[in-house]
Amino acid sequence: MIAAMPAPLPAPTFDAGAAYPEVEDLRKALDAADWPAVRAMVADRDPDGRTLLARVVGDQVGIEAFLQRAYDDNPEDPHAGLLLGAWLIRAGWRVRSSYRAQHVSRSQFAKFHEHLRRSEQVLIDVTARHADDAAAWTQRITNNRGLELGQAEARRRYDRLAQHHPHHAPAQSSLLQQFCPKWSGNWDRAFGFARECAQAAPDGALNAVVIAEAHLERWLEFDTERERAAYLRDPAVVDEVMQAGQRSVLHPDFVDRPGWVSVRSAFALIFSLTEQWTAAASQFTALGNRGTEYPWDYVDGAAGFTKFRAKAYAKGGQS
Amino acid sequence: MIQHLDVDGVPTLLAATGGPMRAGLTFRVGTADETLVRSGITHLIEHLALAPLGLADYHVNGATAQAFTTFHTQGSEADIATFLTAVCGNLSDLPVARLDVEKEILRTEWSSRGAAAVDSIPLWRHGARDYGLISYPEWGLGALTADDLREWTARWFTRENAVLWIAGDRVPAELRLALPAGTRQPAPTASSALPQTPAYFVSGSRAIVLDSVVRRRAAASVFSAVLERELYRSLRQEAGLSYTTTTGYEPRGDGYAMLRALADALPEKQDAVLGGFIDVLAKMRVGRIEQADLDATIAKREDFLGIAEVDAARLPSYALNVLTGEPNLSVDEHRAELKAVDLADLHEVAGEMIASALLMVPGGLTADWAGFAAAPTHSAEILQGTTYSSKEGNAALRVGVDGVTLLQTGDPLTVRYDDCAAMLVWPDGARQLIGSDAIALHIEPTLFNLHPGAIPAIDAKVPGDRQIPMPARAPDAIPQPQAPVRQPTASATSTWWELPAMVLSGMGVLVVGALSVLLTLAMLLTETKPGEEPLWGGVVVLWLLTVILTLPIVKLRRRRRSR
Repeated sequence: MIAAMPAPLPAPTFDAGAAYPEVEDLRKALDAADWPAVRAMVADRDPDGRTLLARVVGDQVGIEAFLQRAYDDNPEDPHAGLLLGAWLIRAGWRVRSSYRAQHVSRSQFAKFHEHLRRSEQVLIDVTARHADDAAAWTQRITNNRGLELGQAEARRRYDRLAQHHPHHAPAQSSLLQQFCPKWSGNWDRAFGFARECAQAAPDGALNAVVIAEAHLERWLEFDTERERAAYLRDPAVVDEVMQAGQRSVLHPDFVDRPGWVSVRSAFALIFSLTEQWTAAASQFTALGNRGTEYPWDYVDGAAGFTKFRAKAYAKGGQS
Repeated sequence: MIQHLDVDGVPTLLAATGGPMRAGLTFRVGTADETLVRSGITHLIEHLALAPLGLADYHVNGATAQAFTTFHTQGSEADIATFLTAVCGNLSDLPVARLDVEKEILRTEWSSRGAAAVDSIPLWRHGARDYGLISYPEWGLGALTADDLREWTARWFTRENAVLWIAGDRVPAELRLALPAGTRQPAPTASSALPQTPAYFVSGSRAIVLDSVVRRRAAASVFSAVLERELYRSLRQEAGLSYTTTTGYEPRGDGYAMLRALADALPEKQDAVLGGFIDVLAKMRVGRIEQADLDATIAKREDFLGIAEVDAARLPSYALNVLTGEPNLSVDEHRAELKAVDLADLHEVAGEMIASALLMVPGGLTADWAGFAAAPTHSAEILQGTTYSSKEGNAALRVGVDGVTLLQTGDPLTVRYDDCAAMLVWPDGARQLIGSDAIALHIEPTLFNLHPGAIPAIDAKVPGDRQIPMPARAPDAIPQPQAPVRQPTASATSTWWELPAMVLSGMGVLVVGALSVLLTLAMLLTETKPGEEPLWGGVVVLWLLTVILTLPIVKLRRRRRSR
């Protein structure tokens, strides 16, 4: 008798369209250069949804003229400004990162900075007109890094946002990046901020993911494999990661709102690395084959996802 | 009510006051009327006019501003008459015996005045001329003669170019304003050294300052106060980033006014203060101006217009308008104008302010990301001429028939002789050419491979009346080229043990090296039998030993070669 073979697990995808149906709709409207439709889709979302869709727009190539026209026609419209601003930041980074740093020519750097400056000036206007626009402030926190405007300025931008939206998780993740040593911050500030966000957040919210992200960043920054392994075995790290999970993805109130794929991905990875396999497996089960470039790019992208998923299911059980 | 009178041909303004009597005599002359080579002349005359008065028991003072010079006093009717009569007498017949003493006092005044954050702004906006001159030291003082001063007073300190204001019941009977006849002088024309605005420059100061030029009007004055409230609320109350947040509005006399805003910052918060400052400006520019701020400002101004002393209080500014020929309003007209100011007017002022803005940012920061162009720090033009190389680095000095260019990596500095505001001349040969655009080109002859005729050639091209002699410098104040960097070398004498050490080491190498070669060959040519593996270890050890023994030879050879 032939034993039944388990069905192979589907290959992972990091396409936002696989996780959020509205993303496909938005892409169709962008392809059709249908501004009223694009605007309606973005306008209709809560801050998490708008920040997510702004990112999707940024990843779409060849729509600069369309977005610029929409902005020029509606300079006071927060959605037109947000999308143009977000697109310019991503486009600038595409220019920058299509070459390795030492090969980036002066003109490419100039183009990179030119994109970020144009974006910044559009977003300055959006936040001046709409001080409570969480998605626009989130873009400005991200742009603060590329423009190298400084730690205190990044914090000021976040504080302006938090006045109106104290728990906007994507902005917290973006500021956490700025607070890491790679962007001229330090670990005390990074972890201090992550803990501040996690503690203040309501139960079952996305926010405690910044704890997971902070540990991933710290882990990655060690020079040697030995240090990395020792860090992941540290009971304080293991416990804090678990507690963060219990405040967030493992909490019964957690729901898959916009941004959940990246949040579950971060927890799936840190649970796997700290060998908390049951918790990791629960996240992979929720994710299915969906993931996000961050944090999976830290472990070889799809290959890392596949490897840890298999390990988590084998050791933690597939529910 | 303000009465218009005439005292000895000087237009005179009189308003009642409940307090002590005060008076001011203002002339339409100031630093902006000077040139760089004559800078300080107005200030020196102001000092000379006051000098013979000695110590007065009542309050007297003089002030030289950009477009106005004022003598001010407070006291009894007789005190005021004595003071102003004496000032006018001194102006008509300058006590030039005190010239050198007063020059020294002015030099001390300059050197002891703390450099304020905003001091350099006029130079960046206007260059080394008219309204920009106030940024410079009073370099003209040294060469000024009694005749120069008399010429200056005859032109500017005249009864037609003056206005007198008195807060009191009447004009003191004994007052005599014995001033020469002349003509009323128009306000100086403001030059610009900024090819485009909004612009920014980097300063060593920790404060962020915005300087702008707007059309003079009630709305602009109100806007200044509204902006101050917004800065205070955003940067101090809400964000806790600044301690001082302030704005200033000052009519220039030519239909425009200078509008400034300042916010200070702790060193570690400078980037955030700049960001917050730019966001406040953006809020104003997009028209999100608080009605409550406008209402509060107007209420405050109306309170001022309602006080009994209002006419006496506004005499000084009223007098300036008389001098520049700008309109003066009655209190009721002021009230009506204030009431008419609305948010749309303020929005318009905000646009004008940003369009003309010059932003001063602390070191290490920029403002290009917010749409401010970098103000020029070097010249666009490179002149042809004879090139002299620098004794250090790769700079070069090019002396041509039209001017001088200092070539440095990426940012040349050029001053044309026909556009040279002044050249500072040191006895040791050093020169500093200052272009009217404020580009300063400093030449230290000790640092360039100059032809002996190069400096005289420059001296011959810059007109004599543009040259400012500077005092001799102490020898250690004259820069010298950095000595070429020497590689640290070992002592020149060879030590006795070097040769024997090399010979011994060489012999060791020969012996051990030969052994290594033999053993290696033997091991390679014969099959390794079980139990012989440790012999390979022996081969490795021998080769290592060979290398170690070679090292002293190599090192000693290198030492000898480098001598």
